Formats: sequence, C-alpha cells, structure tokens
Amino acid sequence: MKRRSVGEVLLYGKSMVPALILLLVILVLFFGFTTKNFFAFGTYRAIISNIPVIAIMSVGMTFVLLIGGLDISVGSILGFTAVNVVLFHDLFEKTGMPLAWIPWLVVLFSLVVGVVLGTINGLIITRAGINPVITTLGMMAFARGLSSWFALGFEILKTGRITDQVYLNLARQYLPSAKVPAVPITLVYLVVLYALAIIVLRYTRYGRNVFAVGANEYAARLAGINVRRIKFASYVISGAMASLAGAILVAQLSLGRDDAGIGSEMEVITAVVLGGVSMAGGKGNLFGVIIAVLILGVIRNGMVQLQQAIGLSYYWREVVKGLILILAISIDAARIMATKKRQRVRQ
Amino acid sequence: MADALQLEPEKSEKKRKKLSTTLILFLALTAMVAIFSVLSKDFYSFLNISTMLTNISFSGIVAGTLTFILITGGLDISIGGNIALTSCLVAYLFNLEKPVPGWALVPIALALGASIGAFNGLFITRLDLNPIITTLGTMSVTRGLGYVLTKSRSILIMEDVTGFIGRTVIPGIQIPIPLILLILTYILLFFLLGHSKFGRKVYIVGANQAAARVSGIRVNRVKFMLYLISGIAASVSGLILTGQTAVGMPQHANGVELDVITAVLLGGTALSGGKGSILGTLAGVLILGVLYNGFTMIGFRYVHIRVFQGILLILIVALYELREKKRY
Repeated sequence: MKRRSVGEVLLYGKSMVPALILLLVILVLFFGFTTKNFFAFGTYRAIISNIPVIAIMSVGMTFVLLIGGLDISVGSILGFTAVNVVLFHDLFEKTGMPLAWIPWLVVLFSLVVGVVLGTINGLIITRAGINPVITTLGMMAFARGLSSWFALGFEILKTGRITDQVYLNLARQYLPSAKVPAVPITLVYLVVLYALAIIVLRYTRYGRNVFAVGANEYAARLAGINVRRIKFASYVISGAMASLAGAILVAQLSLGRDDAGIGSEMEVITAVVLGGVSMAGGKGNLFGVIIAVLILGVIRNGMVQLQQAIGLSYYWREVVKGLILILAISIDAARIMATKKRQRVRQ
Repeated sequence: MADALQLEPEKSEKKRKKLSTTLILFLALTAMVAIFSVLSKDFYSFLNISTMLTNISFSGIVAGTLTFILITGGLDISIGGNIALTSCLVAYLFNLEKPVPGWALVPIALALGASIGAFNGLFITRLDLNPIITTLGTMSVTRGLGYVLTKSRSILIMEDVTGFIGRTVIPGIQIPIPLILLILTYILLFFLLGHSKFGRKVYIVGANQAAARVSGIRVNRVKFMLYLISGIAASVSGLILTGQTAVGMPQHANGVELDVITAVLLGGTALSGGKGSILGTLAGVLILGVLYNGFTMIGFRYVHIRVFQGILLILIVALYELREKKRY
C-alpha cells in the first residue's frame, strides 16, 4: 500500500477518526507536560463526569446534521427539561408514590417533554417547509422564555434544588461499588447509547435511509424513501436527546434552573462537526463524534489546570472553542473541495 | 420585494407589490401604536416614544446591515459577540493605567468591528464555509475574548466620547444621538441598496449566484464587503450600548441575534435570498420595538414577550411563504 502524508489522510481519508485520535493524543500529551496533575485519576473522573451532557446531545445533533438539517434549540430544550424535572419531581413526591419509582417516572416524563418539542420542530420543518435554522431559533426563544416564565411562577424553582438521593444517584453512582469508584454510571449510559445509535445508523433500514436522505434528497425520494418521515424523526431524536441530557444534568448538579444549558448548542455543534459529520449532510459517524466530545472535554479540563499552572485565564476556553469550530468546518470544507476535485480528475 | 432581475414590462406590477408589503407593515405599525395608546395612557408620550426609539437604535443599526447579508443568502450571528467585545475593549482601554485618549476609542472600536467582519468574510468567501457555523464560531471567539479582557466583570466607563454617542440629547429638538445615528444609517443603507450599483449587485448575487458570476460580478468580493459592513455596524452599536449603559461587559447584547433576525424577516426579507428592502426592515425594527415597549407598558414581563417572539418568528416566515406560494 502506498504511504500517504498526514495531509492526504486528512483530505481524502474515508473517516476523520485517525486524525481525531492523533489530535486527542497530542492534546493529552500537551496538557500532561504543561500541567502537574493531568495524569491523575481525578482528572480522568472529572473529564468523564463532564462530558455526558454534551455527548448525549451530540447523538441527536448527529442525526439532524446527517439529514442536512440543523437544530440550535437543543440548549433551550435542555433548560426547559431541567426546570420540568424539578416540577415533576415535586409533583410525584406530593402524590406519595414509592421513592424508588420517582426518578424513572421523572426521566420518562422529561423525555416526553423533549419529544413534544422535537415533534413541533419536526412538524414545522417538514410540513410547513420552513428553514430549520429559523424554526429552531424560534423554538430556542420559545423554550427558554417558557422556562424563565416557569421559574418566575413556581415557588420551588426559586432554588430549583433536588435533594432526593435516589434521583441524584442516576448520575452520581460509580461502578463496581462506592468504595472502588472506577467507572461512573454515566459512562455506562454513554457506551450503551452510542452503541445503540451506531447499530441503528449502520445496520437498520432506517439508518441507511438517514444517510441516503442526507447525501441526495432528490434521489432518496425517487428511490421510494419517505424523506419527510426520516427528517421528522431526526428532529424528534434531537429533542429527546436534549431532554435526556437535561435530566442527567439536573442529577449531576442537584439543581434545575432555567438558565441551564445556555450556549451548549454551540458546543454540541462544534463536537459533531469536529467529529467529521459533514454540514452538507449524509456523511459522518458516531465514532468520530465521541472522540471529538472527548477532545472538547480534555480542553475544558486542561484549560482549568493550565490556569493553575501558568495563570492563563480560564476564559480563553470560549475563544479556543470558537476557533476549533471554525477549524473543524474549514477541514470539512477542504474535504468536500478535495473530493470534488478528484471526481473531476477522474471524469 | 425589489427585484433587480425583473424585465421592463413586469416592473410596474413588481413595484406595486413592493409597495404593498412595506405598506402593510407600516399600517400594522400604526394600528399597534393606536392600540397600545388606548390600552396604556403612558404609551403615547414624547418621553416613552423617544426612549423606545433610543432603545431600538443599537439593534436597528445591525438589522439594517443584516438585511444585505440575508439578501445574498448568508447570515451573521456574530453581531452580539461583536457588540459585546467592542464594549469590553473600549472600557478596558479607557481603564488602563495610562488610559487611551477618548478620541482614539472610536476608531479603535471601528477597526475592531471591521477586522471581525473581515475575518468572517474571508472564511465564508475564500473557503466557502457555511456562514451560520462560521459566525457561530466567531460569536464564541468574540464573547470569549470579552470575558478574557474583563475577567467576567463589568467595567465602568464614564467617558465623554461614548457618553456623547450613547446618552446625549441634542438640546432644542430633544432628539438623542443614537436615534440620529440610526436615521443616518438607514438613509445611507437605503440609497446603497436601492439606488446604487453595489445594491443591484447584492440583489443579483442573492437571486442567482451562478448567473451573477457569469455576468462578471465578483461574488466573493460583494459578500466580503457585506460581512465587513456588518462588522463595522456592530461596533457602532457596541459604542452606542456602551454609552447608554456606561459599562463594558461581556454579557452585553446577549440574544440580540434573535431580535435582529426577527426584525429583518418581519420586514419581508426572504431567507432564500434575492429579496428584501431597507424600508421593510425599518418597519420590522419599529414593530418589534413597539411590541416590546407596548407589552411592557401594559404589564407583561420580558420572559412572556420572549415566548411569543419565538412563535412570532416562525409565524412570520410561514406567512411569507404562504404569500409566495399563492402568487405563483
């Protein structure tokens, strides 16, 4: 096999995964050498407990980007769910049902919230044919406004605190046991969720249809695929994932406030695009996405440690995140251009 | 609905339609003013109207330049971050141990806005990047730099130049400076878009980019100029906001993107490009301003209006699409 340079792998390689793994290793080594405690077990735990929210939303965003859409309402849906989790929890506690049931019912109900909002997004986009950016921008204002409205209206949301240990354990437990905290339970959720999503995208008819619609909508319609339904499903999945992330965030923070997840849509889009999912739709896989999520997690934690080590302001994180996003889509654009050029040469 | 690609015979008909959209918007505006005047006795007073107009001037200016970008089928959501960074930088420079003199703050702010706009324009035109995602990245970069500069605090800036831009009222006619800046911007943009060669190029690029390219228009240059103008307008808005609040902080203009995009789309600019007018945007800006001010006067809170604004945005776009389908 002919050896290829790094640039060629980046431009023509079928997947971004090798390049991403390389970037992750470089970053880990960089932070490892510039800061003192980066290789400590605590760092690993901090990173792993920080990424679930973004990682879960990234699954939904991947489905949306694959069909060539965009959903910028996920941060607001997360916030609205966070508020609702507190309200549902309070409601169920007052009905006096067994404490062990409450967390699962709360998660179920908050999933319904996300599905409903995602359904509204999907219906407006596929039935009324309105631009996804504008639709989800409207939903962003609507959901965020509604959660602030609730926060003003309900006494319990003044603090938004949840003290029920059973609920908090949803995201705070460690496996194999509390004495040997090796694997956080959220990591287990992530593995299961990503495995499920990868199987769906790869081995089911629905998954193949998602790629077909994203790659060429017109051809997909001619091939007899119900394009509308596929697109609709993506927005519903995105809404559901955002609310799942919201339920987990509340358990992690023991706090459900109306400003939860402001600006997280930006981080999610960064992760998914950096993970090699094309903005043009139809291209990408979840392996890349989870590595990109890890990269963002490493940067987040590394910057904190860098502040302690050399006094670099923690707020550079936002700047770095924005630059990475622009870098990621630049690579995406370069790849699309390179492929086109190649096709032209072959013809 | 001015469309530069129309042939002569259809022109009169087109012109009538253009008039009607803007006319409907201004009629709606008048109706709203009438309704709110009845509902609240404080609404129709010189003080309130002047305050309202001053409040919308900073978002109105960027709405004007965003109209151009939307006509070419692009989008710029970095304006909020740009405004915030401008206010932070100005406040930071003025509070250094050796403060930068007041007269230098304005050119520095404008240069900052221009360079952010140029950055957006270069990436979007040269690398053919998705404008939404690119400007989303710039938004994060600019707001982040604002946080770095101010260390996430608000920096007080009581200074003549920004104070003059943001707070001064011209004696005699009682018109505040921000309002005058808004009016000047709209006059300038009106002639630039409707009555200049550049404006016609903007419409053609938006209507059909490939056709524009083969007819000899440098599409990339036109687009680049628009992002540059948008960046400069954002820094002007930043100066106004800094003057009005007398403070530079990275949270300034949070969510202004939503207001601005709603106003422009309300004004009849199509997301798909090629259509839109400055007068329409002006109507959109005024209607949003009256809605926010009027609902606040009759006792609604900001969050309630925010919820309805989300619905309003989707409804507007749906209505315009419906109108469009009926026509053809």
